[in-house]
Amino acid sequence: MDKKTVTTISYLSRLKIDDEKEEKIIEDLDNIIKFVDQLNIIDTSDVAPLTNPLEKTAKTRKDIVTAKNLKKDLLEVAPSSNDDYFLVPRVVE
Amino acid sequence: MTIKYKSVKEFKEMISQKEISNKEIIQEVFNLIDDNKGLNAFITLNEENSIKKAEYFDNNPSELSLAGIPIAQKDLFCTKGLRTTCGSNILNNFVPPYTATVIENLENAGCISVGKTNMDEFAMGSSNETSFFGNVHNPWGENLVPGGSSGGAAAAVAAGIVPAASGTDTGGSIRQPASLCGITGIKPTYGRISRWGMIAFASSLDQAGPMARTAEDCAILLNEMCSHDEKDTTSLDETVPNFQENLNKPLKGKKIGIVKDLDLSNLDNDVVEVFENSLKEFQSLGADLVDISLPNLALSVPTYYVVAPAECSSNLSRFDGVKFGRRSEHTKDLEELYVNTRSEGFGDEVKRRILIGSYVLSAGYYDAYYKKAQQVRRLIKNDFENAFSNVDVIMTPTTRGPAFEIGSKGNDPIQMYLEDLFTISANLAGLPALSLPNGFIDNKPIGLQIIGNFLDESSILNFAHMYQSETNWHMHTPEGIK
Repeated sequence: MDKKTVTTISYLSRLKIDDEKEEKIIEDLDNIIKFVDQLNIIDTSDVAPLTNPLEKTAKTRKDIVTAKNLKKDLLEVAPSSNDDYFLVPRVVE
Repeated sequence: MTIKYKSVKEFKEMISQKEISNKEIIQEVFNLIDDNKGLNAFITLNEENSIKKAEYFDNNPSELSLAGIPIAQKDLFCTKGLRTTCGSNILNNFVPPYTATVIENLENAGCISVGKTNMDEFAMGSSNETSFFGNVHNPWGENLVPGGSSGGAAAAVAAGIVPAASGTDTGGSIRQPASLCGITGIKPTYGRISRWGMIAFASSLDQAGPMARTAEDCAILLNEMCSHDEKDTTSLDETVPNFQENLNKPLKGKKIGIVKDLDLSNLDNDVVEVFENSLKEFQSLGADLVDISLPNLALSVPTYYVVAPAECSSNLSRFDGVKFGRRSEHTKDLEELYVNTRSEGFGDEVKRRILIGSYVLSAGYYDAYYKKAQQVRRLIKNDFENAFSNVDVIMTPTTRGPAFEIGSKGNDPIQMYLEDLFTISANLAGLPALSLPNGFIDNKPIGLQIIGNFLDESSILNFAHMYQSETNWHMHTPEGIK
């Protein structure tokens, strides 16, 4: 874990790291990665990954429309909106 | 007539015998909350609506199983019209337009949601110190942490403010605070309770559950909380048994698995002694101890700290300041809106986990970390499957020790992560697990963990109830609560 890696993953995460905290964050992340590296002591070459403890296929339901139009309710809780849209800073000049 | 430290069962009797009105109960709950503000157990109160609902029940007596019972809801469940923060600045102003299925289930059973409890930010923490709204104090000692992440819930129940609370458990967030605050809490099998309306942290591990004073109360609540929900694709479509039915079943001949790979030698002698005393109590109830092996158990914490951050980095990408929640005021373009909203809105622990998640999922590291952890996760699950072919339940201490002092785990995240050493494996395997009070160390409560087989909540509630019928650890109450 070095400065360059942390810059890349903070960009991927859309997080800004304050200069004064950078050193501590690099150190913490480095320690956490070293800690999880213990997983390498075990051979898992023939083991299938487990993504979900249930391992069941999602149940299907009848193809009937149940969704309601919640536009008004949802736009109401947005930080910025007009009658129809979420508003964000201009993206096309 | 005081309601302090009464169980759900006792509340039900008091209400049906008309010893107290529903409105008097709710008024007393809010007096207790006010008198114990110093605990910082609540983030948002729901006083007006609670009184209205209580008045309704006074005028319309009800047979519903939780009619009039005051319950505190963890601030991770969406509640329509009632602020829901998840302990984070980024949701400081969020008032959801809908209610979580599990809260709806509880409210349809008659419960009164008196308020939203404090918690570690996005449930990421084991001490309640990561909450944007300040840490919760443990009723057993002002300078002690209540555990986390459901710390406010555990403190409110332990202080006798409410008889029960809802919690969630991703790596121990119900059981660890239950242990540290001297109450009982159960995380059911993954999929038993709908996750719809629960703010997601790690979706393959998150599960809601009840926290209360007794196993019997947990059984009453769990029956109402479980349901199949089409809105959650991982919700189980299995019959929910009546969890109260088997509570008194004799334990004669039942087998308790003791994990021989678990190294208790680096634990405090007192912790080991309390644990062994409980095992003796179960033996005197007729149960037998059987050595079992969970050879990959030691890898559960590192496995969790790959899987959980990976899922969290994906889940928390939805907090971008566009559709709901707080938006940064310093935004000249869209990119800056995302980055500044997230950087200002999330605390340090949440950021740390998002960064780790992005790292283990990024190209070049995915196989080495994420896939590897999922493979080890299967081995851990297989270990449990083998063990349960021969035992009814598995017992371990819930925590490595009793409540620690606020600030004492300082700056080392790994020390905090190891707090969940005994609890994490049940989440990885999707198994039900419970913590109940089984002793004291230096006047601080500590808990016993009972892990059950897939869908077998009934057995662990049976063991817990039989233990609580013979012991009184769950009856102790802290001093200094007003």
